[in-house]
Amino acid sequence: MKGSLKIASTLNCDVLIIGAGGAGLRCAVEILEKKPSTRVIAVTKVSHPQKSHTSTAQGGLAAVDPHDPADRTIYHMFDTWKGSDCTADQNVIKKIIEASWQEIVWLENRGLHFSRNEEGKLSKRTFGGHTLFFGEATAYRAVFEADRTGKGIVDTLWGEAVKRGVSFLNQSLAAELLFKDGRCVGCLIFKQKEGEFVRVLAKATVLATGGSGQVFRVTTNCRHNTGDGLALVLQAGLPVMDPEAVQFHPTGIVGPGILASEALRSEGGILRNKDLEPFMERYAPKMKDLAPRDLVARAIETEVRASRGILNPDHGIEHVWIDLRHLSDYIHDCKLREISGFFGKFANINPKNELCPVRPSNHYHMGGIPTTEWGEVQKNGDKIVPGLFALGECAAASFHGFNRLATNSILELITMGRFGGEKVLEYLKEAPEAIPDEAGTLTRARFAGYLAADGRDNIGQIRQALRAMMTEKVGVFRSESGIAEAVESLKELKARADKAGLSSRSLVMNQELIQRWELDNLLDCSMVIAAAALERRESRGAHFREDFPKRNDDYHYHTLAAMTEFGRVSFGRRPVDMSLYQARGENYEKFGLIERKY
Amino acid sequence: MAETYSLTLEIKRYDPDSRRSWTQTYNLEAGRILRFVDLFRKINDEQDPSLAWNSSCEHGQCGTCAVKVNGKPLLACELLVENAVAFFRTAKFRIEPLDVAPVVRDLVVDLEKAYEKLDRVKPYLIDPEPLPPGADCYAITPRELDFYVDATRCIGCFCCASACIAGRAGFLGPNAMLAAIVRVMDPREKAKKERLKIIYSDQGVARCHSARACSHVCPKEIDVAHFIALAKEGRFCQDGPKTGQTRRPND
Repeated sequence: MKGSLKIASTLNCDVLIIGAGGAGLRCAVEILEKKPSTRVIAVTKVSHPQKSHTSTAQGGLAAVDPHDPADRTIYHMFDTWKGSDCTADQNVIKKIIEASWQEIVWLENRGLHFSRNEEGKLSKRTFGGHTLFFGEATAYRAVFEADRTGKGIVDTLWGEAVKRGVSFLNQSLAAELLFKDGRCVGCLIFKQKEGEFVRVLAKATVLATGGSGQVFRVTTNCRHNTGDGLALVLQAGLPVMDPEAVQFHPTGIVGPGILASEALRSEGGILRNKDLEPFMERYAPKMKDLAPRDLVARAIETEVRASRGILNPDHGIEHVWIDLRHLSDYIHDCKLREISGFFGKFANINPKNELCPVRPSNHYHMGGIPTTEWGEVQKNGDKIVPGLFALGECAAASFHGFNRLATNSILELITMGRFGGEKVLEYLKEAPEAIPDEAGTLTRARFAGYLAADGRDNIGQIRQALRAMMTEKVGVFRSESGIAEAVESLKELKARADKAGLSSRSLVMNQELIQRWELDNLLDCSMVIAAAALERRESRGAHFREDFPKRNDDYHYHTLAAMTEFGRVSFGRRPVDMSLYQARGENYEKFGLIERKY
Repeated sequence: MAETYSLTLEIKRYDPDSRRSWTQTYNLEAGRILRFVDLFRKINDEQDPSLAWNSSCEHGQCGTCAVKVNGKPLLACELLVENAVAFFRTAKFRIEPLDVAPVVRDLVVDLEKAYEKLDRVKPYLIDPEPLPPGADCYAITPRELDFYVDATRCIGCFCCASACIAGRAGFLGPNAMLAAIVRVMDPREKAKKERLKIIYSDQGVARCHSARACSHVCPKEIDVAHFIALAKEGRFCQDGPKTGQTRRPND
């Protein structure tokens, strides 16, 4: 075995940022713009910050332009509240939405290549759920950079981070948070390329590790989104919030799971089953293929469960068809060019004369590490963990509640990145020097266990089994018996994982070792998702229980779930902030417990 | 439709512990629309978990999975089995890591080292122009943006750098040039002189042989050579023209 499990060195800094996507980088740059002398280290699991999952966001970034004669921030707040199925926190909604245009300007001024209109101003687009006058009219609220808005954000932020001297630790894992008297003082990092542990001591630590989409089999998420941040806090004995709130997009392209956007259906695309029946007529006689996302996703899953799906032999995935053959060449070539291109590129299909395979695809985790509206991590409903912050998809402030609106995710990344940065700066003023401690032994024991196991199994196959099981039992449809089975399966998979031996004991760029570590994180995330889904005996936003298909406002709270040992999940609650409603200001009644009907 | 292909993958491997490199042959059956990243995963799950390869988004937007297949640098996430068989007219593929940075293990290269060249051209606005009075954003018309928007689409996969015949020692590389040229053309950048100094340095565009290999292999179909040609013919004068004054060759 090359390398050793000993800690090779200790690095000191003011701020340690774990995850260098949109939220992490925005936070780093905010800190350095305000206080250039700050020592910032950013860790990323991918080979370079530009490879972060933020760069795959296509559509746009919602923000109310103060120059817009019709749009108002209160409309955007309402849309977000309604979309969340009344489970977002209103203090967070207000804070993010009121700051949103400023953030667009910030990005534009630093070089983001926004698409422009003829006057040279930023172009805007509309997306589902974004309205004017509280649902009355369509809002053109999303600015964008063609079909690569997320990439524009990452390019701009990475450039600024380089300009301002952030030190990067690429291709590195955050293995264990370090504490001293309840204060977070850094993290144990495993550098894959060198195969060694380093201890990074920091006055403030920011988690911005992204989503957990790899829990599910078909997902739009990148290979590295294994819920590491969630697992990290769970392993530190801290809770996660609303883990059961997972969003599925109805139409992912079979194979890579990439989104085939709603635009396909709004331009006239028709979903068909294996008998070519346009089945949406049965589920939504009026809206048909234009019914809301969750309804369409459930209709597709129902068809597949009733053996009316089609099996793709290459990927082994059952799917339905979306039929675009009857659409005009103009629609194919101009309006749907990019999405049609995806079918060509990833499935070798010409949508002009062939049926296209789609299946609901896991897309976004609304739940995450509970924080304040400043990104401070909470120990329980109110107390914070000094020195620890969480931002972006891994966090739940909560801006999205139980269902996220399109274009609100990258808005959250950059605004919360900035707020987190502001709060970190404030915290640094009084934070003591991070004191070295004897921590980190837990992880090194864990790694030693991975290297010592000698069972004959395959980490990749256990991971695939986990993902298939979670998709089937804790995916679009959930029920008491199904989730209970999932919890049992997870215990079996955990036991299998614990015995599985590695084919190589090297520590240097040992992909299997990394996947073994990720598998533990996926298991932890899956367990809290399943356990929380079991507890919530109602349907809310993206969480759909077949046995409790209606929202029940006895459950109008955030779930807090902690896990002291695998499978033993304890629950708490955090009230949903309704400060807009309680302030009794203009249109306050729109912010009560309203119905999510479109 | 249940067509499968019998493939042979000859993968170049490297073990950093023993510093040994060798070629390993894997035979596998694969469906027509599996991608090469799926094949690597299949090898990991069914034959050899120790084979290391890199990827992230796996839908052509991050450039992490770039490798050379039968000598051609490309994104493994975009290469479908049946397309590969048709394009290369064989079911036998030699797969190697990109030669733009030292290999860490097998197909994984140290991208951080490759990116050092990009850092040197300063991939950000060095000195933003002041905003027009009363405006919060700069005004850039779609026509102005059109001159350079293609160059902003680079995903940093380094396929062009791998294919470039100008060599790696002296040249910063096609993608680094692209990153510098974008910001000469971007009207928001004031520090044009500093940029041009980099572009016309002895590691800049003068090293380019105009072989156009960069444009040929770019997975995003960016005509990299076109932008380098603009710089080579001196389209960006020392005073730093506004992009509206630069013309496309066909104008």
